[in-house]
Amino acid sequence: MASIAGMQICLLAGPRSIHQRSGTSINHGLKTSVSFWRTIAPRLQPVLPQLRIACAAKPETVEKVSAIVRKQLALPDDSAVTGESSFSALGADSLDTVEIVMGLEEAFNISVEEESAQNISTVQEAADLIEKLVEKQKA
Amino acid sequence: MTAAPAAPSRAEILSLLRSLLRVSAKFSDYNIREYTRRRTIDGFRQNRTLSDPSSVANAFADGKSELEIAKRQAVVYSLYAPKVKSIIELYSKSGV
Repeated sequence: MASIAGMQICLLAGPRSIHQRSGTSINHGLKTSVSFWRTIAPRLQPVLPQLRIACAAKPETVEKVSAIVRKQLALPDDSAVTGESSFSALGADSLDTVEIVMGLEEAFNISVEEESAQNISTVQEAADLIEKLVEKQKA
Repeated sequence: MTAAPAAPSRAEILSLLRSLLRVSAKFSDYNIREYTRRRTIDGFRQNRTLSDPSSVANAFADGKSELEIAKRQAVVYSLYAPKVKSIIELYSKSGV
């Protein structure tokens, strides 16, 4: 809510302030603020064919998720685990995926429901879901 | 009871695994908690390669009854939980 109120102030102040606004709302993801701006003032930037509402997860969250995945799959510390790596590509089967999700639940103190848990396939998706649940818990 | 039990779907099996892991986290005693967790994971891994539907269904039914037992025991253990936590738990939490 605060970031949307911030958007309106941004409109009056002019396009230059978008950078400052993006700086303060970094926790909600740059993508939200930039996409909103694009729909309001299309003449400044080309209109995107699709509007991405999703907020990107913080890098620390992705790091934590990667660490848990590495520990579960017994991968060496220097193995490449990025946001885009899928669990199956890293060698996890469905049992490993369930264990990873349980480990994430424990580490972040959240509770993932059945349907959402079954749809997680990459590290980025897991981090996004975690962020969403942590936000909901704080609210 | 001669009717063959229906083979569980993949989603049901994963849901059973999740329920077992969740209930094992509820135990107040460190040893039992770790044991249930280890045992469910080992049990599911051992039966991973089962292909015969009746043996899969049997394993699933076994898992379900174990889940019921674990649920009851979690409640019973919590009634008689000691005030002092196990030393292993305290040390592992503090990282010593």
